[in-house]
Amino acid sequence: MKYTFKRIFVLTIIVLLLVAFSGSYKSLSIDKLAYVVAIGIDKSSSQGYNFSFQFTNVTSNSESGTAEKSPSIVNNVEANSIGSAINLMNSYIGKRINLSHCKVIVISEEVASEGISKHIYTLMNDTQIRPSANIVVSKCTAKYYIQNSKPILENLITKYYDIFDYSSNFTGYSSDATIGDFLNKLECDTCNPVAILGGMNTENISYPTDITENQSSSVKANESTISGKRGSENIGLAVFRDDKLVGELNALECLSYLNMTNKAKGFFITIPDPESENSYLDIYMSPTNPTKISIKITNGSPYIKVKCYFSGRIYSVDSNRQYLDEKKLEAISDICDSYLESAFSDYLYKTSKEFKADINEFGKYALSLFLTTNDFNNYNWNENYKNAFFDVKIDSIVESSILLTET
Amino acid sequence: MSRSKIGTTEAVLIILTVIISHSILSLPRDLIVRTKSATILNIIFITIICTILALLIVKLFKKFGNADILDISEYLGGKLFKQIVGAIFIFYYMVSSAILLRNFCEALGLVYFQMTPIIFLILLFVIGSCISNRLGFNVSLKVNLLILPIALVSIVFIFIANFKSFDIQKIFPILGGGFKDTFVTGLLNISAFEGLKYLYFIPPYLKEPEKYKKISVLSAILTGTYLILCVSIILFIFPSFFTTNEIMPLYSAARYISFGNFLQRLESIFMMVWILSFISYLTIATKFAISIFQKMTNIKNTKEIINVFGLLTIAISMFPKNLAVSTFWETKIYSYFSIAIIFVFGISILILANIKKRKNL
Repeated sequence: MKYTFKRIFVLTIIVLLLVAFSGSYKSLSIDKLAYVVAIGIDKSSSQGYNFSFQFTNVTSNSESGTAEKSPSIVNNVEANSIGSAINLMNSYIGKRINLSHCKVIVISEEVASEGISKHIYTLMNDTQIRPSANIVVSKCTAKYYIQNSKPILENLITKYYDIFDYSSNFTGYSSDATIGDFLNKLECDTCNPVAILGGMNTENISYPTDITENQSSSVKANESTISGKRGSENIGLAVFRDDKLVGELNALECLSYLNMTNKAKGFFITIPDPESENSYLDIYMSPTNPTKISIKITNGSPYIKVKCYFSGRIYSVDSNRQYLDEKKLEAISDICDSYLESAFSDYLYKTSKEFKADINEFGKYALSLFLTTNDFNNYNWNENYKNAFFDVKIDSIVESSILLTET
Repeated sequence: MSRSKIGTTEAVLIILTVIISHSILSLPRDLIVRTKSATILNIIFITIICTILALLIVKLFKKFGNADILDISEYLGGKLFKQIVGAIFIFYYMVSSAILLRNFCEALGLVYFQMTPIIFLILLFVIGSCISNRLGFNVSLKVNLLILPIALVSIVFIFIANFKSFDIQKIFPILGGGFKDTFVTGLLNISAFEGLKYLYFIPPYLKEPEKYKKISVLSAILTGTYLILCVSIILFIFPSFFTTNEIMPLYSAARYISFGNFLQRLESIFMMVWILSFISYLTIATKFAISIFQKMTNIKNTKEIINVFGLLTIAISMFPKNLAVSTFWETKIYSYFSIAIIFVFGISILILANIKKRKNL
């Protein structure tokens, strides 16, 4: 009798607990959820914002078998905050928005210039948003950028967003800027955040732009000469001081940023050919050691010494060339050194004098110069960064070309 | 309570359950807010102090054989004093475990169970601990022996998996808020070693009482090592002077873990392990509270009062009005409470009892 009573009691508890947790389970049923893969934030004509939500159709997604591209849907709503926008969009689509697969957050330049801390904190307060979601500042409207973000070599938009920052590993023209890093740097006293710079390629720009730069390393998003099926492109970085956009980095400056922060894995540079005028060599450089950074405070101003180490391979090969000649390789290495020294120096002074934003996180190296946090706070690194001096040294060794060593 | 004997490893893990359960919540962040970048230096300092205190406790227990603090307080002040000491420790065990339970359930509710009333989450843990207690102390010890190492491994895994995101420079400035903040005010961080509260009650249950010294030293050192791991994860990933109060910093750190496109979103596995280790913690805390009560009242069979203590845990955990109140208790009041009971009250009783013993000799 007692045993039966115990069994009934235990069963009742189990059923009660199952019922208690079924509320959450029912609401998370996949048919009742709409997965957002990208969020866009623009300024609206009224006081609020224009939020764009890019949805993916879960039922038509299949990686295997079908060659058809799975369509994505972009809906827009005007609201004063992300929460209100989500609420309105939920009532419109009849499902519940789920942000757990949101890969990209696109913010227009106009919104970024006014400050985006409110949006960043709100998004990071949500348990669904992953810290690995990329953050993009678009030179066109976020809505236009998202509408034109179409996968061309992939079937799924989610696959495209998964890998679109991958090219930064071997070009150095962009960076894997995530919302998690952005929040950490926003809170940090020794650094400032960056975001990916997005825009439209020339074929898809609806307004004329003055593209005067011929060098591919000096272009940014919205200014490149790329034309292709996909309208959007990501080249360069958007620089923030605290939460406000203060400037942009072009491809070469972005490459410099990646080298300063030890994120560069390999990149191409184009240098003048020492053997012939009006001719250029493409060299593929890869870092051999982490960048060495040392800081001293001289007369109250930071004096920052940077030393980078690279090895290079000659990529472009011309006729009648010998690429195993030690003297020629040394000459090429010297040109690489001076090219990179000049590029990195210009970039560093730009961040210091123009942006006044320590996006390279040099401040953390300065922490060891102070005994207490009060001393560091009194020094006010962010204010003094604009008075910084830089000494850049490059040690690169161009070893050879790749398959053809002599022509 | 049955006279099940506790082995050395089991005893060490009992003491570690407390630090593991507390570190999942806001403990690492509270330590960092207090001592800033000098937290690791501070933890090394307080580990040395706690090891000395643990050795002192062992030395003070030596003259009393296998007695626990209740027996010693009876020797010191008679039966009435024993009841007072017992009541204080029961109150401390119940309130500390209930407040941590409330905070853990609130965090769990925010992350995974937004639609579930908090009472159901609390019931889940309390029913689990009551069933575990009914099955016997041996069962709890064996389960603890199984789950705690997995929980420890989970923290080590978070440390290793996030290593590439670490900024070792965040250990500077070396003195953090200054010498006073690190070594004087920073002494408040000693409350993180609250697991040492079990040292007062385990002597009668040890399988090998001669290993009591080894258990106490090992527990203190392992607690310090574990704290350094947890604090390093938070300090080196997140900005050291951050003002954002995250609800579970270790959970936030676990969200950063990914291995390519295949292994992502592993934080739910960690949460599952931490839930199990929390039930283990609650079981052990309730078990010791019941054993103290049994000693005070000379009850033979404690099975009937297990449910009473379960209900008490629910009542205390439901007492705070909302998360703000329970977080305030955990971050502001809890540390003073722990230091007062464990390191001041407990050691004072032992010292006075030793003085009395010496006078009687």
